[in-house]
Amino acid sequence: MAIHEKHLIRPENIKTHDNLVIDGVDVSGHWSTFIETRVVTDYNEQLEEEIAALPGGEYIHRCWQCGSCTNACTVNAINPEFNPRYWIYLIRMGMESELLRDKEIIWQCVSCNKCTYACPRDVFPEGVMKATAHWLEMKEHTAPSNSTIFDEEFTRQVVQTGKIEDGRILMNFLKNSKQPLFQDWLIEMVKQMVWNLPVKYLFGMGWATLFQPKTRSWAKTRAAIEEHIAEEKAAERAALGLDPVE
Amino acid sequence: MSSKPILIVGGGPAGLAAAHSLASVGQKSILVEKMDSLGGTPIHSGYAKLVPSGEWAKDAIGGMVERVTGNKFITIKTGTTVSEFSGKAGNFSVKYSQGKGNSVASVVLCTGFTHFDSINKPEWGFGTYVDVVTTTQVEQMISSGQGVRRPSNGETPKRVAILLCVGSRDRQIGREWCSKICCSVSANLAMEIREELPDCHVYIYYMDIRTYGLLETKYYWKSQEEFKVKYIKARIAEVTSDGDKIIVKGEDTLVKRPITIPFDLVVHAIGMDPNVDNMLISSIFDVDLEPNGFIDRASAYGGVGASSRTGVFVAGSATGPETIDDSIAQGQAAAFSALAIANGQLAAVE
Repeated sequence: MAIHEKHLIRPENIKTHDNLVIDGVDVSGHWSTFIETRVVTDYNEQLEEEIAALPGGEYIHRCWQCGSCTNACTVNAINPEFNPRYWIYLIRMGMESELLRDKEIIWQCVSCNKCTYACPRDVFPEGVMKATAHWLEMKEHTAPSNSTIFDEEFTRQVVQTGKIEDGRILMNFLKNSKQPLFQDWLIEMVKQMVWNLPVKYLFGMGWATLFQPKTRSWAKTRAAIEEHIAEEKAAERAALGLDPVE
Repeated sequence: MSSKPILIVGGGPAGLAAAHSLASVGQKSILVEKMDSLGGTPIHSGYAKLVPSGEWAKDAIGGMVERVTGNKFITIKTGTTVSEFSGKAGNFSVKYSQGKGNSVASVVLCTGFTHFDSINKPEWGFGTYVDVVTTTQVEQMISSGQGVRRPSNGETPKRVAILLCVGSRDRQIGREWCSKICCSVSANLAMEIREELPDCHVYIYYMDIRTYGLLETKYYWKSQEEFKVKYIKARIAEVTSDGDKIIVKGEDTLVKRPITIPFDLVVHAIGMDPNVDNMLISSIFDVDLEPNGFIDRASAYGGVGASSRTGVFVAGSATGPETIDDSIAQGQAAAFSALAIANGQLAAVE
C-alpha cells in the first residue's frame, strides 16, 4: 500500500512484517505496514534549568518563539534543519528526546552572532547554542568536538604557563583529536616557514617548543585560576546532576 | 438634587461603584441585588487575589461593600429583583419581587455575567473526573486557605495543566468572544500555585496569549521568568484518565508533535457567558441584547453607558467580558449619565 506524504513520517516509525498471518490472512510484507504514532509522553522539567546553568544559556527563559534567530541564522541558510528557535522551545518545554535527535547538528553553530542582534528579547541564542553543545558533551550524548579538544589544550597551556606556544598546541591538538601529525598542509606550512622566516624567529620558536617558558611568578596566578575553574566546573556538573568531578 | 432616586441593578463592582459615586455627590440611589449579600461575583464565587491589583477580593470588593453599607444616600435591597419596569426617562415606575414599588429617574444595569459551565465541553473531562476543575474552584482553594489540592485524594499536585479558552473563542458551542481576562487570571493562578507548591510544575496550554497592555510584563513574563511557568501552544483535543492521573492529549503546534501527558490536576480557564438572566432582564427593562446575548450598548460617543432605551444605562460585564477595574470605571461613568437624567438634563445623554 502506498503511503502518501511519506516524507513526513520518520523512517523508523514505519513498521512492516516480512511474515505475518492474522486470522488466517497472509499480510506479509507491505500489506502489514503500519505507522507508529509520534507522541510526546513526558517532559524533562529540569532541562531548561540545566541549560540555563551553563555559560551562554542564562537568558533562555526570555524566548517568545518569534523565530528572528532562525531567520537571521547563517547556518540555517545552508541547512534548514539548523533551527535555534525550535531547539530553544524544546529545551524550555523539556522535550529532551526530541532535542537529542538533532545532537549532530546543534554544535554546527558558527557563532556569527547575527541572532544575538536580531533577538528582540535578548535571549542570546548564540550563547544558548554554545551551552547546548556543551550540555550534550557533558551528558556524553556527543563525543567532545574538535573545537572542545582545541579549547581544552589551549586552556591547559594558558593555565600551566601563562603563555601559549603555537607549535605545541597544534601538536597536542592533532594528537588528542586522533589526527595524524603529518598533514600535507602542515608540512607545506613548515617548509615555507623554514625558507622564509628569519633564523632568529625560527630559533625562538624551536626553543619555546622544547623548553616551554613560563610567565614569571606564575604559580600563584595558576593556583587561583585552577581553583576558579574547578569551582565553576563543579557547579556546572552539579546543576546537570553529574558527579562533581569528571 | 432631584428628589427621585436612581435605580442600580446589581451589587457587584460596577453597581457598588455607581452607588458610591452617586452618594458622593448627594444623589439618592436604590441598589437592588438578587443575592442575599452585596459584592457580586468576586465575592460570591470566592475569588482570591484580584488581577491586576493583587489585593484579596474580600478586602478590595469587601471595602467597596462597606462604604455603601449604611450610607444615607443608598437604599440597599438584597434578595430582591426587579419584576416590572415602565415609564420614561426621568420618571420610571419600578416594582420589585418583594416590598413596595417606587418611581426612579433613571437606571444603571450592572447585572454582570455568568461563568461558563465547563460541563458544556465534555471532551475536556469536567464533571467526569474530579481532578478536572475550573479557575473559579482554584480561586476558592486559595481564598479559603485550604491550598491547591487534588479533589480526588487531597494530595498536593506535582503537575498542573491549565487549559485556556474553555468556553471562549469556540464557535462549536456558540461562544466566539474572547473573555479577555482569563489569560491573565490563569498566569496569576499559575504563579500562586508555584509559590505555594514550589515542586509543582504548571503548564498553560494556549491558542494565543492575551495578557494585553501592561499585563504582559506583570503576568505573562513574570510567570515565566520568575515562576518558571511553561506555556505550550496546543489546543487540547481530549482529557481522559488512567484511574489516577489525568491524561491530556493534543498537538504541540510549535513542534508539530502530538502530546499525551499525565497531570495530577487539570484546570479549565473558564470564560464569561452573558448573565443567564439576560433574556429576562432584556424583556423587563426593554433593552436590546447584542448578538452574543450581552446587553447592547448604544454609541460610545454619546451618553456614556447608554443602552438601547433612553434613561437605562449599562455598565460592567453585563455588556460583555470585562475586568473588575474597568467595570468599576464604567459603573462610575454610567452613574454620571444617570445623574444627568435625574437632574433633568435629558439632552446631555442623548
